[in-house]
Amino acid sequence: MAGVAGMTWLFVRLKLSMIRGGLRGDAGRQAGFVFSLAAALLAAAAGFALLSLIRLAPSGVALDLVTAAFAMFAVGWVVVPLMAFGLDETLDPARLALFPLTTRQLAAGMLAASAAGPWPLASLAALCGGVVALAHGVGGVLLGVPAVILQFAFCLTASRLVTTVLSGALRSRRGRDLLAVAAIFAVLLVQVPNLLLNGRLSGDPTRILAAAGEVMRWTPPGLAAHAIADGGLIGVAELIVVAMSVVVLAWLWIAALRYALVRPDSSNQGGGSVRRSRTSRFLLGGPLGAVVAKELKYARREPRARVNWITAVFVSAVVMFSIRGSGGTGWTWAVVGPACLAALVIGLQSANSFGIDGRSLWMNAVAFSTPRDLRTDLAGRHLAMAVVAVPLIALASLAAALVAGDAVWALAAAPTAWGVLGVAMGVGAITSVTAPYTFPERMNAFSGAAPGQGGQAFGAAFVTMVAVSVLALPVVLPVLLGLTWWALLAVPYGAAAAWAGRRVAAGIGFARLPELLAAVSRPT
Amino acid sequence: MADAVRTQGLYKRFGPQVAVGGVDLVVPKGSFAGLVGPNGAGKTTTLSMVTGLLRPDGGRIEIDGHDVWADPVKVKANIGVLPEGLRLFERLSGRELLMYSGQLRGIPLDEIGRRADELLKVMDLVEAQDKLVVDYSTGMRKKIGLAAALLHNPRVLFLDEPFEGVDPVSANTLTEVLRRYTASGSTVVFSSHVMDLVERLCDWVSVMNGGLVVAQGPLDDVRRGRSLNEAFLDLVGVRGNGEDGLSWLGSPA
Repeated sequence: MAGVAGMTWLFVRLKLSMIRGGLRGDAGRQAGFVFSLAAALLAAAAGFALLSLIRLAPSGVALDLVTAAFAMFAVGWVVVPLMAFGLDETLDPARLALFPLTTRQLAAGMLAASAAGPWPLASLAALCGGVVALAHGVGGVLLGVPAVILQFAFCLTASRLVTTVLSGALRSRRGRDLLAVAAIFAVLLVQVPNLLLNGRLSGDPTRILAAAGEVMRWTPPGLAAHAIADGGLIGVAELIVVAMSVVVLAWLWIAALRYALVRPDSSNQGGGSVRRSRTSRFLLGGPLGAVVAKELKYARREPRARVNWITAVFVSAVVMFSIRGSGGTGWTWAVVGPACLAALVIGLQSANSFGIDGRSLWMNAVAFSTPRDLRTDLAGRHLAMAVVAVPLIALASLAAALVAGDAVWALAAAPTAWGVLGVAMGVGAITSVTAPYTFPERMNAFSGAAPGQGGQAFGAAFVTMVAVSVLALPVVLPVLLGLTWWALLAVPYGAAAAWAGRRVAAGIGFARLPELLAAVSRPT
Repeated sequence: MADAVRTQGLYKRFGPQVAVGGVDLVVPKGSFAGLVGPNGAGKTTTLSMVTGLLRPDGGRIEIDGHDVWADPVKVKANIGVLPEGLRLFERLSGRELLMYSGQLRGIPLDEIGRRADELLKVMDLVEAQDKLVVDYSTGMRKKIGLAAALLHNPRVLFLDEPFEGVDPVSANTLTEVLRRYTASGSTVVFSSHVMDLVERLCDWVSVMNGGLVVAQGPLDDVRRGRSLNEAFLDLVGVRGNGEDGLSWLGSPA
């Protein structure tokens, strides 16, 4: 027993010293660490306060709300570590396979380690709000404390079980590629209920809540919530069921752990072959064609590129639906507005053109001997983006026009939006060389940049957005105000902006090629 | 005749740490040169600066008599690079990587196809040519990286640890290719930890330690009758011979 306890303490210390490791390094990382700590504290306080406030709701609604919140915690605990897998080394049992540890020691240690740290403690604190929200009388409080602890244990074991079962797949390249794209879908799916509510497609939110509460009532988080509200013998029985579900999960997890430790590592098994490209014969043979072909392949094959495109399309769709709801200011606003915003969102991808190349950008750098080479490279990237984005924007314009009432309106919206895309690419080229940053190797939902570059990434995107909006005004505003033939000028204007942007960017970028290279190849 | 590589007072610091403190590296044309040194000696930093991937804080670099940073047009077309860390375009197949690299340098497509076929054959990568580089093993990555560096037939080739993680069969192929390449008058500069290999392949050696070149010249001048390994240990200063401490290590008597 002393072995298990000692080992558990060792695991917790390991986790804590890894967290402390965030304090070392440069100022950016330290700022990030402090920020994350403050955010955890804020989340703990806000979560606790919000859950506590549910007490003010009628008791039936309050129970459903807490049930939903508890269930969301459990789902969050399962999903978040999957997206951030690889950030936390204690999560991967394979790293510990060579140490002479019993499965029991490992299980206790890893469980304790995953409970340590600011974010787990923050979620425990937030969960305590459930007691405030639901407990009536002494029984409620007495049952509430074990209920929250059991709910927390349920979250921990469920999360451990899923990460362990998937750890083999997560270490293989294909598994990670799939997960990166699946994760973004999970994030986006969360937005769907929101959209449905916005679109008033379904009825009354309290009815939906009640229906959801009904479904989740018999899940362990639902049982835990109900036990707090009940505060009597039924509550005790419910807690016993929750405890049993935790034990079953823990047992399954230990079995999975045992299996994972002796299974061969699949991370080195190669994937299949790719087809020789047939499209390349339609492209030019020179550097421009090479860049276009490479960029188009990356848009298909690189999960981060796919995620960027999926996000851009999804955000455009959201914008389109939201603007339709507000309506009432003339068709130009309802059709041209969303189309231009879609173009802006898609075009923003070019604000860090070299990010996806990252550490492999040196292959370009050793070949580029004049600013002209870099200009060709940027032109290739823009061309590849246009190949995908131009039809996409046309579709978006058509969709917006159909939703607003007349397909003909797309004829004004699409060219205007193409112009905005051109402006976005031009401005993006300049931000790509002045404020480049590293995309993390592993996509996760929390940071779009390497440690310490998050603020810069945000700033670059923001400045690009503002600059594009201002520069696009001369073509967008007249169209919005009803001067529809002005849309004819948008395409040449956008093309000129993209050309000018490339020209300026190539000059700046070539002069600071080594710095550009270093900025996009930071360790993540 | 200008030397293939000549640096003067090359200097680079990262924060308070001086990585390269005034390196005068010389490599004569047509030589097979080894750059050796312990970990942290500044080999990789030096090679990065010489190939134009890292901006030096001071000093001059000339390749074939042209300044790397002032005259990149003359230099970049004539050098091939295999940097450390095997950073390649992961989501291209091996063949696509070669095609991309060749097109970027403006070689006609059918010529790239021909060269790529031959390089893939020599490197024994024909079967894996349509697999993505991300799925390649370390040795395969080294080979495809070397193929990409050779594709445009550079006059000087810079290789950072080219034999690390490469199986003996492939290593043999690589050395044969490189020997033939230097025999024609082209130059290879490669860094390595493996003294036996350097001794076997190189006719010119530069020894780095603590950010400086501590010895440099034809192989026989540097080793002066000893094995290169002995000469190297003398030059960098042997750091303990393993006799102190560790009394518990080994089977009990």
